[in-house]
Amino acid sequence: MAIKDEDLITITPKPMTSSEAVYIPAIVKGMFGTTMRHFFTSFGQGRTSRTIQYPEQRREHYTPEQGGMELSNFRGVHRLNRDAAGRVKCVACMMCPTICPANCIHIEAAESPWDDREKYPAKFEIDMLRCIFCGMCEEACPVDAIELTPLYDVVGKSRQEMVFDKDKLLHVYDMTIEQKPM
Amino acid sequence: MSEYIHDLIDWQFIISGVVLMAGVHAVLGLVAYGVYLERKICSYIQDRIGPNRVGFDFGLPFLSFLKGCLALGQPLADGIKFFFKEDFTPKNVDRVLFSLAPAIAVVPALIGFVIMPWGGALDIPAAGDMGAFQWLFGLPGFAGESFYFMFGHLEAQSVIVTGANVHVGVIYLLAVASLGVYGVTLAGWSSNNKYSMLGGLRATAQMISYEIPLGLSLLCALLIAGSFMPNEIIEYQAKHGWLMFSLPLPAILFYICGLAEANRAPFDNAEAEQELVGGFHTEYSSMRFALFFMAEYAHLVTACAFFALLFMGGYQVPLIGLTSPEATGILAVFAKVGVFSLKVVLLLCLAIVVRWTVPRLRYDQVMMLGWQGMIPAGMLMLVVTSVMVYLGATTMFPMFAANIGMLVIIMIVRLALAKAFGRSTTNKRIRMYGSRYYPMEGETSIAAPTVAMAIEDRPVQGSVSTV
Repeated sequence: MAIKDEDLITITPKPMTSSEAVYIPAIVKGMFGTTMRHFFTSFGQGRTSRTIQYPEQRREHYTPEQGGMELSNFRGVHRLNRDAAGRVKCVACMMCPTICPANCIHIEAAESPWDDREKYPAKFEIDMLRCIFCGMCEEACPVDAIELTPLYDVVGKSRQEMVFDKDKLLHVYDMTIEQKPM
Repeated sequence: MSEYIHDLIDWQFIISGVVLMAGVHAVLGLVAYGVYLERKICSYIQDRIGPNRVGFDFGLPFLSFLKGCLALGQPLADGIKFFFKEDFTPKNVDRVLFSLAPAIAVVPALIGFVIMPWGGALDIPAAGDMGAFQWLFGLPGFAGESFYFMFGHLEAQSVIVTGANVHVGVIYLLAVASLGVYGVTLAGWSSNNKYSMLGGLRATAQMISYEIPLGLSLLCALLIAGSFMPNEIIEYQAKHGWLMFSLPLPAILFYICGLAEANRAPFDNAEAEQELVGGFHTEYSSMRFALFFMAEYAHLVTACAFFALLFMGGYQVPLIGLTSPEATGILAVFAKVGVFSLKVVLLLCLAIVVRWTVPRLRYDQVMMLGWQGMIPAGMLMLVVTSVMVYLGATTMFPMFAANIGMLVIIMIVRLALAKAFGRSTTNKRIRMYGSRYYPMEGETSIAAPTVAMAIEDRPVQGSVSTV
């Protein structure tokens, strides 16, 4: 957008006073006023320090007001939900791979062994290295089968390990169902 | 040859050797832990915590009690990391100078310390009176004889605990410290990279500009102390009070110039990341980069030690008898080394706090501060100090009064100059052709996408207006 003349704000800096013009008094004021105040108030995890010591303390332990995270809408690793019978809820409708902007979901549909639906995913893979955790799959899913969980620290030793298959995604469901109910 | 060695060895030679061997490691250690100190202090200033994980346990279970330790192992870990990184030499660089530049940068920074009188004077008795040498002379056969040949003639002597007790002392330090910029300039030039080149050029210009007020304020101190020898400067200060109090303005000038000489914030234009990628060390990696890093900190430590020597009484603390120049025992030497190091570390902390307080000066502001502010002020102070020396009023109170008077005069002259010529430091807005903020006369500025497809493909949030 072009910036119009009426949107421009011209700021003319105030001329420096004579004590500011020699810098030193102003620098000393800043050094012992602002800098050292912050130094002493945050010294050794003091009052103004906001650090969370990560592996020992985690954001889940705090409320959002304290700088923690909101579990209900955090977008972490995906999970595949199970229905009441413990079967995978997904009906392989291909909505999520279609909407996925990173093309990280790969589904192979097969004829369902159960009577209540036509298809089920024979294979369901999410490439976590490609995924951008935008949550659009969750929004697109018509049966609430795919969801994003509050898990965020996933590691792997190879690229192949970071491609989560159906078993792994169902396992994530078992891990996080207490933390984030369906 | 053996006669020559025989004549060469006296107590000063031996003590100098010991000081050099201990000193270079102490300085390198101080450089490593200076980086740690900087990271720690700056993180507290920015309400963070900083390094707090790396201890000395090396992942071994039986060393687990050394885990953590306030991350004191961080410098070691950084050093190991630097050693194992790839040492990459780009194509088309001047290979010889490219490899030589880090060494040229680091060597002057490290050899500046030899004239620092860390421990002051030390009285040593003759070798024949000392048990350790008696035992060495008593060794059987050739060993005992050769020890007797080397140390048997050592007589009682009063030595200075310093690397080299030379008469040109301070001048040597000044000369060596200004050599450091060659490394930076050569690195910038040999890298065959425009950003490196600009960084090197900036370093050169800055060095030339700030060498002058540094020398002028140094001359003020030398005029009063009346000697080039570091130990005598300290003795003068022990007798007549620290020069910091009799020369407050030159002390401030000297400290600022020291920061500028060390290429240290707020004068780190040579490696201004925001403008010059990495500055002169853009093309360097691995241990060669680490050498530049080390040189920078070693320069800073040199500048702080130089300041402590000239203006803060070196190893001397008023009212503590152990640190006065009259105390020459071995205990006094250790106390003096401790005091000197403490002063250096405190000045280092001040430099760190300055770095995290003051934003970097723009390059023209650096030059303006140097040539319009510090050089005239330094020259005035030199004149005033010379007059006071001529009048013989060099004690603390007349000098302090003269400094305050000069400060008032400088302020008045500055105001008068500003009145007469207008402010020279205003940021003038220059119309740049093609800038959408400053279209030229009769030109319309168009920044919105005008191609239909561009608007269609990427809808701009908010209202789209085509001019």
